Amino acid sequence: MRRIQSSIDPRRASDNSVSFANQTRLSAVVLIYLREMRDQLRDRRTLFTIAVLPILLYPLVGTLLLQIAQFTRQHPTRICIIGRENLDEAPPLIKEDSFVDGFIAETDRIELVIHRWDEFTEDLDVPSQTDRWVRDGTFDLVVVIPPGFADSPSPPPNVGVNDGNQSADDVSQDGKSIQLVYNVASDQSLVARDRVMRILNQWRGGWVRERLADSGVKLSVLDPFSVQDVDIAPEHTREAALWSKLLPFVMLVWAMTGAFYPAIDLVAGEKERGTLETLLCSPALRSEIVWGKLAAVTTFSMMTAILNAGSMLVTSTFVFRQVGLGAAGTTIGAPPLTPMLWLLVALIPLSALFSALALAVAAMARSSKEGQYYLMPLMMVTLPLVLLPILPGTTLSTGTSLIPVTGMFLLVRSLVEGQYAMAAWHLPMVLGVTAGCLWLAVRWARRQFEDEAVLFGGGDQWELRQWVRHLWRDRQTAATPAQAFACGAIILVALFFGKLAVTEMPTDFASMSLLVLIPQLGLILAPALLMATILTTSLRKSLRVRMPHWTTLPLAVLMGVTLHPLYVSLAQWISYTYPISEQASEAMRPFGEMISSAPWLSVVFLMAFVPSVCEELAFRGFIFGGLVRNQSKLRAVIVTALLFGISHGVLQQSLAASCMGVLLGWIALRTGSVLPGILLHFTNNALSVSMERIAASDWGGASVFLRVTADGPAYQPMWIVVASGVAVTCLLYFGNIQDTTDDLDNDLIEVDSHVNDPGTQLQTATA
Amino acid sequence: MIHVQHLTKVYNDQTRGRFVAVDRVSFTVRPGEIFGLLGPNGAGKTTVLRILSTVLQSTSGIALVSGFDVATQSAEVRRRIGFVSNNTAIYDRMTAWELVQYFGRLHGMPKDVLNQRLESLFDQLRMNDFRDVPGAKMSTGMKQKVSIARAMVHDPPVLVFDEATLGLDVLVARNLLSVIRSLRDAGKCLIFSTHIMSEVERLCDRIAIMHRGRILDSGSLEDLRTRHNEHDFEELFFGLLSRHEQAERDHVGGVDSSEWSSGVAPKEQMPTSVTLHPLVQPVSGGTVS
Repeated sequence: MRRIQSSIDPRRASDNSVSFANQTRLSAVVLIYLREMRDQLRDRRTLFTIAVLPILLYPLVGTLLLQIAQFTRQHPTRICIIGRENLDEAPPLIKEDSFVDGFIAETDRIELVIHRWDEFTEDLDVPSQTDRWVRDGTFDLVVVIPPGFADSPSPPPNVGVNDGNQSADDVSQDGKSIQLVYNVASDQSLVARDRVMRILNQWRGGWVRERLADSGVKLSVLDPFSVQDVDIAPEHTREAALWSKLLPFVMLVWAMTGAFYPAIDLVAGEKERGTLETLLCSPALRSEIVWGKLAAVTTFSMMTAILNAGSMLVTSTFVFRQVGLGAAGTTIGAPPLTPMLWLLVALIPLSALFSALALAVAAMARSSKEGQYYLMPLMMVTLPLVLLPILPGTTLSTGTSLIPVTGMFLLVRSLVEGQYAMAAWHLPMVLGVTAGCLWLAVRWARRQFEDEAVLFGGGDQWELRQWVRHLWRDRQTAATPAQAFACGAIILVALFFGKLAVTEMPTDFASMSLLVLIPQLGLILAPALLMATILTTSLRKSLRVRMPHWTTLPLAVLMGVTLHPLYVSLAQWISYTYPISEQASEAMRPFGEMISSAPWLSVVFLMAFVPSVCEELAFRGFIFGGLVRNQSKLRAVIVTALLFGISHGVLQQSLAASCMGVLLGWIALRTGSVLPGILLHFTNNALSVSMERIAASDWGGASVFLRVTADGPAYQPMWIVVASGVAVTCLLYFGNIQDTTDDLDNDLIEVDSHVNDPGTQLQTATA
Repeated sequence: MIHVQHLTKVYNDQTRGRFVAVDRVSFTVRPGEIFGLLGPNGAGKTTVLRILSTVLQSTSGIALVSGFDVATQSAEVRRRIGFVSNNTAIYDRMTAWELVQYFGRLHGMPKDVLNQRLESLFDQLRMNDFRDVPGAKMSTGMKQKVSIARAMVHDPPVLVFDEATLGLDVLVARNLLSVIRSLRDAGKCLIFSTHIMSEVERLCDRIAIMHRGRILDSGSLEDLRTRHNEHDFEELFFGLLSRHEQAERDHVGGVDSSEWSSGVAPKEQMPTSVTLHPLVQPVSGGTVS
């Protein structure tokens, strides 16, 4: 025993690594990555879903498609024609048992059954018989040619259409009509109707030409001009058009699903099997574990995407060739392979992003089964970002390039289509947004791995009564993160339905006041206030109403004033990038007019004071106080900013408000209070509604700051620069003030130094 | 060596509210000593040991392992501790050899040293028969051996065994105890937690009896016997537990005894303002009535 253990000297082995103890070691990340990869590759289920399934799935689906295609082609359309003898005077339409050649394509198989008009008797009249045939599916379509059809002096005739559910009497009495009896509820019947309509139109056209020719009209007058379409897109773009939309979509969806299952297995599954704790008490750092697992999940996500897309590509090329679409193929051809490599490059960050998100979400689950429940909502949230780029009309622009995932998708599309200049222009933005999202997602995943409530969280069963008791009994001074999230969700949902309830635009100032006050007080402030009263022990602390250092208050006002030019510029840039629709700005106009005509003080009260107090108390008060706990500062700032932004409803306003929200959140974090935020918010809003009045006032100093433009007052460029400088200085000041200790206040932990403990006494006795 | 002082862990839990799982626990374990942590299920043993292995963070108090603080120098602590618990399972899809090797490499051991170490460990623990058997196909005893080898691979000065004999048959358990004894002889600092009294009697140099998050008494077996004037260890243990429960009931009887008995403390009073009942302080008092 002694011999073995002396083989390594623990002191020597550890000494040289002491200084690196808290640094992420690449070797450990690689080690964990390789182990996770090997572990997954040894799992039959993973191998099956990732490798075998895509290789088998698409050929199988392809075979099935081919069979279905053959089936639909081979299924003959059954048509009954009643009264062919009535066509004798007209140009030829029907031969012995089919339509005349030339009217139908070779591939269309039509079975014709022909009845004479006089085969029907009084008690078996034509309308009821045809109705019955179409209804019970004996024929897909019945063509009724009434007696005396071709005799009438004014053909070409009309084609009457009857969907089999109404009486045919009114039309069939009229000698000029052919009647088609079909059933709208049957697809085959509809197909038959389309085919026969086409034939009849062709037939009628020929008939018209014949008559015109007979009456001496030159046929060329019928075609005054011809249309020739020229597609200037080069060959490879034309072929890429479909693939550049379809393939990224397929790849991203598979990248998402490919990330889910390994993520569940690597976190929730390991928790379930008890191996996670083994890893956690090994020398591997949490960051190394997260990076290793993230790399493994990303690899599987990418492999799934590539294998599926590749398999789909190969199979579909064969299927299209078989069906014959490829031959006609201007739209669907073999995809250009080289540009598709761009897709692989773009896949790396997107796969990593999905993987990090999946890892973070999967960490919350206690078992694999639970993990699958959690990942569905994640899919629902991310799917719109993947769907957005394939909507018609979505192209790469400054606006779309700033949307996560969508921007990357569109960038790849323009690369595949060969628009390199456009892609290069938007590259920095797309990269920046993607990197930012990736950073946040990885950070979230890391936080999850450092949170012991997430890793070891209670296995006890949830029960409603107990939970309500728990909420009441274990109230704390400030909200918990879960309560904060719930409050944010309640506010957003309430605002959504509140907006639906507004049916008409206000016509006077009083009704507009109501329109502002009700959401602010009833839907934003009330939920926060109510939750703070019921769920926490201290209203003041949970809403973060604290007196910060006195200097922060005037500075907040100063910052509000000096930041406003920048904020206005931001808002202008946003509405330039994401233009507001004509309708929306038209609808907003009376609002603006009312504001400029109402008394100034009431406008300031309504548009600046009320929103700043209500929104700050809710977002930077109650919700922020809950989210900032456990040192989750970034989470508090980002989430409150997003909630604050979304609560503004209009996209352009939401974006500007989110940016403002980040700043307000940061100030709330630095000062530990909601008050400076209220002042800053108030100043900003007050300036926004007063700009016109200040510009129009006879105060001489106004022209130093403001100039009058066609669109209303704007800040002097010089003042924008100076003010921004002052604002940045204020910002630096806020950055330097002493940190506040939110956690100690909230968590209610008092440490007593006088402890009477037998263990310590024993220890001092034995020492 | 391990040094634990006033270690406290508070959970926020739906059923129990603020629940003090570990309440100002203090003890010291020296090299070459087996320290037994004895207590019924739910006494807080695992929580203490999880804090020592840096998997959990304590709410307050200090814990040092080989001179490193578990809260601030967790990476250093993990390099010097081997943790075997029935919560630390082994991977199903890795063989015994691969698993132990993997953890050795996570410790940054050079390849040749590691391989040498693996060979000797597998010999010592008699694991060569199932070297290449994947975890999924192992018996409980084999798995436990792999876990022990995993914890010992980096030759840590401190080893923690949390309910390590749980589910093992007599033969394997006996084998495990002899391994632990030989580790003590090699100068390791060992903590052995269990709810089985006979194991503690046979193995441990010093014992701490834990109940509801607190250490009721600690010392060598002889110390405990003389102090409580009770030769039968089982009687001693149950006597201590029931007196503690009685004391808790008496002490807080006026406040809210029903909540106390379920381990819940009213917020204002916990975790610190409650002073220990005289009965629970036998060390200073010396006698027990």
